[in-house]
Amino acid sequence: MKLPVKAFLWASCLAGGFLLAACSSSPSDEEMAKLNELKSQASQLEGKVAGLQRDKAGMEKQIADKNAKLQECQSDQDAVKKALGK
Amino acid sequence: MKTLKNFTILLALSLLVLSAVVAQEKMTKDEWQSEMATYTKKVADLDAQAKKLAADMDGLKAQSDKLDADLRSCEDALYAMLGVTRGDVEAFNKELADMENRVTELQRMSDAELLNHRDEIERMNTRLGEMSKSKIALIPRYGARVTALQEKVDGLMKSLNREKTYTVGTWSRDRDCLWNIAKKKDIYANAWMWPKIWQGNRDKIKDPDVIKPKMVLKIPEGKELSKAEKSAANSYYRRKAGSQ
Repeated sequence: MKLPVKAFLWASCLAGGFLLAACSSSPSDEEMAKLNELKSQASQLEGKVAGLQRDKAGMEKQIADKNAKLQECQSDQDAVKKALGK
Repeated sequence: MKTLKNFTILLALSLLVLSAVVAQEKMTKDEWQSEMATYTKKVADLDAQAKKLAADMDGLKAQSDKLDADLRSCEDALYAMLGVTRGDVEAFNKELADMENRVTELQRMSDAELLNHRDEIERMNTRLGEMSKSKIALIPRYGARVTALQEKVDGLMKSLNREKTYTVGTWSRDRDCLWNIAKKKDIYANAWMWPKIWQGNRDKIKDPDVIKPKMVLKIPEGKELSKAEKSAANSYYRRKAGSQ
C-alpha cells in the first residue's frame, strides 16, 4: 500500500477511535437534562438564600433600633420619676 | 501524484484534529457524574441554609414583636406617670416637628425678611414658653428638643431686635431725604413715617430737611408713629407753614 493511503487509513482509524470513545462515554440527553435542572435549582436557591440574608440583616437592624428605643423609654421613665419626685 | 499525496496527508491530519476536538467538547460520563455530585451537594447545602435562615427569621420576628409590646407598655407607663395620653404626646411631637421645620426656614431668611414674620416668631416664642412648662417636656427627648428650639427662636428674636440702620446716599444719585427713605420698601414702605427716623436720630438730625451723605441713621422699629413723633411732625409742619 502506498504511503498516503496508509496514512489516511491510520488517521481514519484513530479519528474513529476518538469519536467512538467520546460518544460511548458521554452522558445521555436525559442525564444532561437532569444536570441542567440541578444547576437551575442551585441558582434559584442561591437567590432565595441571598434574599433571606438581606431580610435577616434588615430585621436585625430593626431589632437593634427597637432595643435602643426601649432603653431610651426606660431612661425617660427614670428621668420623669426623678423630676416628679417619685 | 505528489499533490495527491500531500492532499491525502493533509486530509488525514484534519480528520484527526477534528475528531480530537469533537471528543474534547463532549462531556464525559465521569465529568457528568462529578458535576452531578457537586451540584447535588450544593443544592442540599443551600436548601439547609435557606431552612436555617427561615427559622432564624421566625425567631427574629418573634423577638421584634415582643420588643414592640415591651416598648408600648413602657410608653404607656411613662405617659400614665405624667397623666397624659398617647394622643397628647403625638400632638405635642407633631407641633414641635412643625415648629422645628418652620424655624429652619426662618433661619435662612435675612434680617429684613424676618421683620415681615415678627408676629409669627413672637407667637412661636410664647408657645415654646408654654410647651416648656408642659408635663410632656419632662420627658428628656422632648424637653431637649424644646430647649434646642427655644435657643433657635431666641436667635431669631435677637435678629429681629437688632438695630436696623440706613446709610444716607447723595441727593443727586439716590434722592435721599427722610420722606424718600421712609418710603423705601425695606424701611417703612410709608413716607409718612419719616418723623420716626427724625426722632430716632435727634442726635444727628437737627433739621429734618437736612441730612448728609454717609450719615448712618437708626431705623426704629414700629408700624405707627408714637405720640411724641406725631407731635414733632405737627410742630415741623406748623413751622413750615409759618415760614411760607
